Amino acid sequence: MTPPLLAFEDVPVPGGGARVTLEVPPHQAVLVLGSEASGVDALPSFALALSSPAAGRVLLFGEEIARLPYRSLLAFRRRVGYLPAGDGLLQNLTLRDNVALPLRYGSDLSEREIKGRIGIMLAQCGIADAADLRPADATDEVRRRAALARALAFDPQLVILGDPFDGLTVRAAAHLLDVARGGETGEGARRAVFMTGQQVPTRLESRIESRYRIAQGELQTGT
Amino acid sequence: MAAPVSAVGHRVARSVALVGALARFLVETIWAARWVPRAGRRVATKVLFKQVWFTALQAIPLVIILAAILSFLVISQATRELGRLGATELLGRLMVVVIVRELGPLLTALAVAGRSGTAIAAELATNKVMGELNALRAMGIDPLHYHVLPRLGATILSVFGLIVVFDLVAIFSGLMAATMAGMTSARYFEIVLASLTFHDVLLTAIKGLIFGVIVGVIPCFRGLSISGRPTEVPIAASQAVVTSIIAIFVCSGLFVVLLA
Repeated sequence: MTPPLLAFEDVPVPGGGARVTLEVPPHQAVLVLGSEASGVDALPSFALALSSPAAGRVLLFGEEIARLPYRSLLAFRRRVGYLPAGDGLLQNLTLRDNVALPLRYGSDLSEREIKGRIGIMLAQCGIADAADLRPADATDEVRRRAALARALAFDPQLVILGDPFDGLTVRAAAHLLDVARGGETGEGARRAVFMTGQQVPTRLESRIESRYRIAQGELQTGT
Repeated sequence: MAAPVSAVGHRVARSVALVGALARFLVETIWAARWVPRAGRRVATKVLFKQVWFTALQAIPLVIILAAILSFLVISQATRELGRLGATELLGRLMVVVIVRELGPLLTALAVAGRSGTAIAAELATNKVMGELNALRAMGIDPLHYHVLPRLGATILSVFGLIVVFDLVAIFSGLMAATMAGMTSARYFEIVLASLTFHDVLLTAIKGLIFGVIVGVIPCFRGLSISGRPTEVPIAASQAVVTSIIAIFVCSGLFVVLLA
C-alpha cells in the first residue's frame, strides 16, 4: 500500500475540541469542512508546521515536519503547494511576479526558463491577461487563481488549499479544482489535494474522494 | 506610594526587555544571512535596491534642504559672532564638530527614521495582517531573508550615503554663508579642512553604520511583532519611529561620552 502524503494523527483543532485523524493518499482529494468556530482553518497551517498543534502528530511525506530543523523545514515546504485562505499574495508585486517568486527564490532555473514556466501556469489558471495587475487591482477570483498558480510553481505532488472556493462561482471553483489536481493519470489525479473550508459546491462533491466534517466537537466521515 | 514605584519599575523592565528582544532580533537577522539560498540572494538584492530607491534617493531633496538651511544659519551667525571676538579660525572646528560630525548623522538618521522607518514598519505589519508572511514561509522563504535583511542593508547604505550628501551640502552652504559675511572661499576651506581629522571622518562613518542599523532593525522588529490585527498597523508605525528616535539620541549621547 502506498504511504499517505499527509497524515494527521489524533491532532486536536483549536476551539472545536475535535481530534483529527485522517490521511491524504497520493492521487486523491480530501476535504474537511467545518464552521469558522470549528477550528478547521488550523489544519493547513498544522500540515506545513506554520503553527503547532497542542498534541498529536502531523506527518508530511512520512516525516514529522514539526521536528525538522528550521532550515530543513523551509526547504521541505517547497515540496508542497499551498494556497492559504485569503490568498497571501504579496501586494507590492504583480500577479506574474508573485507566481514567479518561489521559482526565483528557491530554484536554479534561468530567468528565461522561469518566464516560460510562469507563462504556462498563468495560462492554465486562466489569468494570462491579468498577469501584470497588482493583487489590489484584481478581482477575488483572479487573485485566487494567481495564488493557485503560485502554489503549483514547483509542480508539487501534494497541494493544500485553505478555503479555496469561498465566494467563487461553481464554474470557477470546478476549474480551480481541476487545475489543482493536474489532470488524470492511470492511478487517479496527478496531484493529491487536501482542502479545508466552510462549504463546497454540491457539483464538486463527486470529484472529491474523501470528505469529512468537523461538527459537535468531532470529526465526522463522509459528510 | 508603592504604585508609582511599581509603575516606574514595570516601565524600566519593559524597556530592558525591548532592548533584549531587539538585540536578539538583530543577531538572528545577521545569523540568517549565512544561509540565504543562492537564487534567493538575487531576489533579496532586488528588494534591497528597491528599498534604497525609497529610502535614499527619494530622501535626497529633504536632506539637501535640511543641510543647506541648518548650515547656512549656523555659519552665518557664527561668522558674525566669532568675527567680533577675532576667532574666525574656530569656524572650521564648529563646522566639523557640530555640523559634519554631530548634527549631520543625527538629523539624517532622524529624517530617515521619520520618513522610511514608519513606512517599513507599516508595510511589514500590513504584510503580517494580510497573511503574506505565512505565505512566504509556506513557500520555503524565510521572511528574515526576504524582508528584513534587504531592508537592513538598504537603511545602512542609505543613512551612510545621505550623511555624505548632508555633510557636503552643509560644507558648501556654510561656504555661501561665510563668503556673504566677508570671508574668502580659500580662507573658509583652509580653516575647515585644517579642522577635519581622520578621527572625525571615522566617527561620522561609524555613526552612519550604527544609525543605519537602528533605522533598519527597529521598524522591521516593530512591524513583525504585531499579533495580526489590522488596528495594530498604525501602532507599529508609531512605535517604530518613537523607538528609533530614542535609540538614535541615546546612541548619539553615548558617542559623545565614549568616543568624542
